[in-house]
Amino acid sequence: MGAAVTVPELSGTQEAILAAFAELIEEVGSDDVSYRVIARRAGIAERTVFRNYPTRVDLLLATAAWIEATLFAREESHSIFDVPLAIRDAMQRYDARPELAHVVAETAMRGVSGAAPSPSRAQLERLLDAEVPSLDAAQRRAVIAALSHLDSVGTWVTFRREFGMDRRDIADAAAWAAEAVLDSIRDRVAPQRDGLASGNG
Amino acid sequence: MEEPVDTATAILASAAVLLRERTFDDISYRALADEVGISERTIYRQYPTRPHLLAALSNWIEQTCFPLPPFVTVSDFRAAVHERFRAFDASPAYAHVGARASAISPTLDTEPAYITRAIEAMLDVAAPTLNRRDRRRVAASLRYFSSAMFWARLRTGFDLDAAEICDAFDHAVDSVLAKLPSSATWARP
Repeated sequence: MGAAVTVPELSGTQEAILAAFAELIEEVGSDDVSYRVIARRAGIAERTVFRNYPTRVDLLLATAAWIEATLFAREESHSIFDVPLAIRDAMQRYDARPELAHVVAETAMRGVSGAAPSPSRAQLERLLDAEVPSLDAAQRRAVIAALSHLDSVGTWVTFRREFGMDRRDIADAAAWAAEAVLDSIRDRVAPQRDGLASGNG
Repeated sequence: MEEPVDTATAILASAAVLLRERTFDDISYRALADEVGISERTIYRQYPTRPHLLAALSNWIEQTCFPLPPFVTVSDFRAAVHERFRAFDASPAYAHVGARASAISPTLDTEPAYITRAIEAMLDVAAPTLNRRDRRRVAASLRYFSSAMFWARLRTGFDLDAAEICDAFDHAVDSVLAKLPSSATWARP
């Protein structure tokens, strides 16, 4: 588990299909796009789309994962305390592509037939364990859960829809909330032993 | 006010019945029409697209199965959200419909949810001198941590049960409220 979001290797054809579908979602919404239209946009046969993505749910999940990994990709954080910065950037990216952001948000909320709702979990756990290893299980879980919830497109959707916030306000409030979560562990950071942070020369 | 169930509501009630045995994606307009005993065309007239149906179904489920207990103080708010998370855990299929509907691109001129207004009102009472930006940050954070999305993410992505989700929620609320000046009259649990 290296990158924040892992996507399976895609063939050139698959990538063309997903890119075509994403384009069409931005033009007409996800509900009205037929396989025929996707095939035409990708310049391939409709049969090829079906062979790669037998059902609409398959297609939607693959497209959402591809969008997350490409258009909404985050710069990797090297410290748990950098996560608010990554969240701020992510919110701005979502705001620039609202239709795609909604599609990604919805696929993460489909329950058993949906995408993993916390793709950043493994990375957050690695960062937290390296820097703040002394938390008990419940505290650790609460911090990871809160950050992983904030570091998702659901934040953008909710802040926009429920509070009518614009891009700046969403980015600000999401990063602020992440800082609030980190405040609870700021004084628990373990001394660095790998020599990276300590200038001993 | 007509007491007998209108067509739009009958469709939603039937969709909720079908949700017990299949996912929302597997409920076709055809099957729904058969269940209600009306034509497919009538359903399309009420709900022109599946997102329309999803949004309406979620509202109906919310009102029927997950009524929000009223709250004024922060501790009432916590209790109300705990109760909801436990109710979600008891009817996960319904709660997932709510989480999903709150993620889609709005189909109608959606009003903010009742809980959003209730959280804002709670803040007005508990922290009347709070500046506008902090008030929005706090309200938005509390709203998002009390959402069906939070429950769904923790249940599906973290495999947590209602008690553990309530615990994570309390931690998040504590973190957010700790950001505020001490003049705010928080009802600490």
